[in-house]
Amino acid sequence: MANKTQRDVFFDRVYELARVDRDVIIVSADMSAPALDKFRRDLPMQFVNVGIAEQNAILIASGLAKEGKKVFCYAIAPFITLRCLEQIRVNSCINEIPITIVGMGVGLGYHSDGPTHHLIEDVAIMRSFPGINILNTTDNIMAASLVSIAANSSVTNYIRLDKDFHDDVYSAGADFSSGLNKIKEGRKMIVATGAMVHSACEIAASDYGVIDLFQIPINREAFIEAINGVEKIITLEEHFLAGGMGSAVCELFNDCDIKISVKRLGLNARAGYESCYKYGGREIIRDNFGLGFESIKEEANNFFK
Amino acid sequence: MKINLKGLFNRKEKKNSRLYAKSFEIRKAMLEMCINAGKGHVTSCLSCVDILVALYYADLMRFDAKCPDSFNRDRLVLSKGQASPALYTILADLGFFDKADLKGFTKLDGKLAVHLQKSVPGVELTVGSLGQGYGVAAGMALSAKMNRELHNVFAILGDGECYEGSIWETAMFASHNNLNNLITIVDRNFLCVTDFTEDLVALEPMEDKWKSFGFGVIRINGHCFEEILAAIEPLRSHSSAKPTVIIADTVKGKGVKSLCYDPLWHGCAPGNKVATQCIADLKRRYEDGQ
Repeated sequence: MANKTQRDVFFDRVYELARVDRDVIIVSADMSAPALDKFRRDLPMQFVNVGIAEQNAILIASGLAKEGKKVFCYAIAPFITLRCLEQIRVNSCINEIPITIVGMGVGLGYHSDGPTHHLIEDVAIMRSFPGINILNTTDNIMAASLVSIAANSSVTNYIRLDKDFHDDVYSAGADFSSGLNKIKEGRKMIVATGAMVHSACEIAASDYGVIDLFQIPINREAFIEAINGVEKIITLEEHFLAGGMGSAVCELFNDCDIKISVKRLGLNARAGYESCYKYGGREIIRDNFGLGFESIKEEANNFFK
Repeated sequence: MKINLKGLFNRKEKKNSRLYAKSFEIRKAMLEMCINAGKGHVTSCLSCVDILVALYYADLMRFDAKCPDSFNRDRLVLSKGQASPALYTILADLGFFDKADLKGFTKLDGKLAVHLQKSVPGVELTVGSLGQGYGVAAGMALSAKMNRELHNVFAILGDGECYEGSIWETAMFASHNNLNNLITIVDRNFLCVTDFTEDLVALEPMEDKWKSFGFGVIRINGHCFEEILAAIEPLRSHSSAKPTVIIADTVKGKGVKSLCYDPLWHGCAPGNKVATQCIADLKRRYEDGQ
């Protein structure tokens, strides 16, 4: 198990970048991290704390970025996205001011904190905005690599950091430029994103393939190439099914007339947010939402039979 | 609650002839542009025209019409984006773009819409969602501080916009960070969309609110050039460590008698007979020198 979170390796890399580029700025809505302590100590002029005011965080970040700063705007994931939708829409999308929105603890990552801190709708919402690039991090190698991709981007990137410690799926030097990576070959393919990539790899074992689809909008050409020869696909995400990554895959298939059978696995919204009140760990909540490890495995085996 | 709005303007308006003449010219051109289009927030423009005229024609703002993005320019964020016709008329008059473009306001193939858009030369930001321009302006001011640049960022807010919570998030931030290069002007015209602010949800005491957020506060008659100039001039050289807000008491519809003191004129351009009456009102007012 990794001894650092995605957040820590991410901000370690931001720190390295900021040491040599004084235009690199962190705007924080009073969120800290072990990796941010040295940033605040060594680069106080590049660290802006706006208080618990996420909407203002987006506005201040946009003003800085409009003047040429490379801004990482950081807070707990649901609050730096859903609370600020209009600020993001007006400034990142309509005014085309590029910033990097860093959301901490996506999905059910804050499993002990109740539904306000879970974020299981944002992909559907954020992907409806033109000009937002959603990057859903899988492991620490990817988290570190996304820093320079985002800092040098001409559009706003929304980076979804997972709160848990995960083993690395990737090796150092892995290429993240295409928005997806095929982790395992297979004619029966699990297309997963974020924390669910780890479940997908475990379930796939030697039987199925795995694609890590970490960027939305989907890189169409790369994805079509990656699924060449695939017979059946399961999409897997820790997000409500409506409008999530699985929906994006089905839309692409429909638009490109690709006839591969797809089964979408995600959080079942039938009982609303009731399952968010289950405690005892992330897996317990997933299980209540119908996305427990064993049920995914069973669904996969049945579908791929 | 009944307030005597006319009583607010008993302070004598001194005339500065050059700016006074310009304010008539801009009001008339703006009014004609909106009447021609049948669109535009005319009364919202009339309340802040004099502030804009002072900024652009009295050397309060540094700008270069031939090079609108020049780095040393002062930035203006007109956060109350519905007053775009007033700013567009001024920018065209100063040569930022062709005056003929004003005729295309909200028309097919036109370049100008009801709310301010950044594609127009001289405009910093597309706005229209109230409460947002101010925060971006504060970020721009902070960037200048970080880079030790000397330009100023002017933000013009509507008083109705001050109902948005984000205004106060930004105010708190600006004062904590000593953004004295952010010059905030509130167009205090006492009218919102449907009613007078003090009958809707009272905004007063406005000065106390801003003071408690750590701002220096100057309250002026927003139609008196002497007062506008006296308030803004010292702020340009960052005379105070704190940011300053200028609460400019104004009249929504100022200059056109038939549009004043009536909430229902919000967001409209006068049509037909009223339009003729409005132009006549405006001419009479300036001829009389009231």
